[in-house]
Amino acid sequence: MRAAVRQGLGFPYECNVGSCGNCKFELLEGEIEHLRKDPPGWSERDLQRKRYLGCQAKPLTDCKIKLNLRDHYKSHFAPAKTVGTLTAIEDITHDIREFRFRLAAPKPFLPGQYGLIAAAGVEGARAYSMCNVTTSGEEWHFQIRRVPNGACTGALFDNLKTGETVGLDGPYGMAYLREDAPRDIVLLGGGSGLSPMVSLARAATASPKLAGQQIHFFYGGRTSRDLFNETLLSTLPGYGARLHYHPAISMPEADPSWTGKVGFVHDYAKELLGEKLRDCEIYFAGPPMMAQAITKMIVEYKTPPAQVHFDQFF
Amino acid sequence: MSGQKIELCKTSEVDEGTAIKVEKGDLVLAVFNLNGAFYVMDDICSHGPGSLSEGPIHGDVVECDFHNGSFNIKTGEVVDPPCMIPMKTYQAIIEGDTLFIEA
Repeated sequence: MRAAVRQGLGFPYECNVGSCGNCKFELLEGEIEHLRKDPPGWSERDLQRKRYLGCQAKPLTDCKIKLNLRDHYKSHFAPAKTVGTLTAIEDITHDIREFRFRLAAPKPFLPGQYGLIAAAGVEGARAYSMCNVTTSGEEWHFQIRRVPNGACTGALFDNLKTGETVGLDGPYGMAYLREDAPRDIVLLGGGSGLSPMVSLARAATASPKLAGQQIHFFYGGRTSRDLFNETLLSTLPGYGARLHYHPAISMPEADPSWTGKVGFVHDYAKELLGEKLRDCEIYFAGPPMMAQAITKMIVEYKTPPAQVHFDQFF
Repeated sequence: MSGQKIELCKTSEVDEGTAIKVEKGDLVLAVFNLNGAFYVMDDICSHGPGSLSEGPIHGDVVECDFHNGSFNIKTGEVVDPPCMIPMKTYQAIIEGDTLFIEA
């Protein structure tokens, strides 16, 4: 699948790591092995139907496969593999850290897209969204949330030092900024979903095409220590005027000093924007439960699916 | 566009209990034949990249073979998750041996 996308084909995919099931194809001839032995996005029923995951499939022989290519999945910037050297680290919250890499072979990406990081000593690559905006593609910055007992985040947080390198592959993903969409923008993030929302906010505030649009940045955590320092957004142009930050926490009992909003971001968005949600361009990233709640919200408010953008890699 | 009649295919092209994909302009449609009655909906699943004309049909229900969600062929309503957004359906019109929709 990645080979097809590198060649400019619209091979459908989303997560790149065996979870989402969007890259399934039918094997007509030949033999295939999956890289991940038991990928969550694949079932016994798929095996019976000779359907495999494009992102995990390694051909063992010449193969003939069947799938529908779709223009929607063609890459704006063809993904490529390179090496990134860690140039800086910054703590964003108690468990989110920004890692900045300089690329051996620069590669631009669209705001909201993600890359695959292959860390030394970790089997397989993991998908993380970039938080910066770049036209040269010389640097990719990632705000990564530490996963308890996570092999890759463990390697990044505990072992990787400035000057050391990781494998990078990308850019991937369809949840990138639609500059041609003349609508107000709603960004919804939680947990590990901060990074792409920051990239989108940075790009949207800088885009002349989107100058007339309001941008609502909703971000949720369990307690206030999950929330980032407001300067991450308040230094952007139009902050408070057209870029609005709406933080919320979901566990106020663990955070008695919190005086702000309590609840989930999708409920906060419904309360604040109501029927307007139908006419917004909505981007979101976060844990599965949040993605599900937001999808429900979109159905409830009848937001056209073409105005909704997210990549489900969990 | 409203009220415009679009020719899709001959009724003989769709066998009973099966579906075919028809592309007309910007429309990509799945045409189903259920016991001799014809139903038309958008072909691309509202949830993922699946093509519903290629999905297994069980009674009035079509299953998407990407994530195993399913829709009622007659109404477009979601039958099984993970799909949540109903499919857009079109009124099928048969004149002689030809199938049309109004769009």
